[in-house]
Amino acid sequence: MDELELLKKDWKKDDKVYPKLSYNDIYNMILSKSSSIVKWIFIISILEFVFWLFISFGLKASGYNLQLNGIEQNVGFIAISVLSYGILAYFFYRFYINYKTINTTDNAKTLMENILKTRRTVKQYVFFNLVVLVIGVIYMMPYAINHDENSRVLLENAKASGELLKYYASIALVTIIGLAIAIGVLLLFYWLIYGILLKRLNRNYVELKKLEV
Amino acid sequence: MDKALEHSFVELLEKHQNIVHKVCRLYTNNQDAHNDLFQEITIQLWKAYPKFRGDAKFSTWMYRVGLNTAITLYRKSKRSIKTQEFETVQFKIKSEPYDDTEEQQLKLLYDAVHQLNDIEKALVFLYLEDKNYSEISETLGISEVNARVKMNRVKKKLRTILNP
Repeated sequence: MDELELLKKDWKKDDKVYPKLSYNDIYNMILSKSSSIVKWIFIISILEFVFWLFISFGLKASGYNLQLNGIEQNVGFIAISVLSYGILAYFFYRFYINYKTINTTDNAKTLMENILKTRRTVKQYVFFNLVVLVIGVIYMMPYAINHDENSRVLLENAKASGELLKYYASIALVTIIGLAIAIGVLLLFYWLIYGILLKRLNRNYVELKKLEV
Repeated sequence: MDKALEHSFVELLEKHQNIVHKVCRLYTNNQDAHNDLFQEITIQLWKAYPKFRGDAKFSTWMYRVGLNTAITLYRKSKRSIKTQEFETVQFKIKSEPYDDTEEQQLKLLYDAVHQLNDIEKALVFLYLEDKNYSEISETLGISEVNARVKMNRVKKKLRTILNP
């Protein structure tokens, strides 16, 4: 005998085994807050946008603080700023559109794909920011060395003692290590957060995809 | 949202609440987790309700949102860690000698279904609710042929769990 037929027979008759929730119980539930992964992805994504905006302002502020005379008029610096704000607006728009397409009445596969698409947009945004961060730092470094008073003194001293190569190498090394640590910590953070959040969704999405093969 | 909408939704859900209970029964293993998932499905149903068109049956619409919440949106709460402990206990029951009485058989069957993965549970749920393969394929977003093939595999898997 088909096992499921036996289960079906029981499934249909056991209407009484479930607790009967009252009108008020259900009413109170609709007033409570969702803890769905979509809500969490939305909150974390907004925090990511804010975080990178903050970092971008921070970088600019540090540019001014280093008394990099004329950096605000530097064409490259202005281009990076304009580009980064334009791209921020573009990503935010795409994120919003993706988020709006998430619909619980879609079929399971489409719903999963739409959630993953939202996540992917934020991932691309983070990747873009990491690239901008690296380019920004690489671009600002020589500028800082040439324009900052303290750096200039250090450079002159290095020149005088014939250790110019050592001076540049140590700056490059410190910059690379600093960037690598910053990127490593950020990636670990994302991996942990989204790994936990999307574990179940990813597993089920893979399972559905497998059915297509 | 306006009060009339709230009222009509709560009334409909009160009437059809067993559908949500049934989804929770398959996807959770203890009362706390059951209540958690029930609440999350209710919230998702309520959020989607303004777009609900009367042309679909309320119950059919509920299946979809309920299953989507269970397999996609729901994040198991800390309390459902107990689920793992529960499954170990069930595993022990499974290894007991097969009792032929119907009640014992049903218990083993429910335990076996709990060992399936989320997608397999969704297939079983829709099957138990008498949904045809066209509806199953539409709900999960897979082809009808694949739904049929997968369903046969699930039946085989259940048989293997029951008769190791």
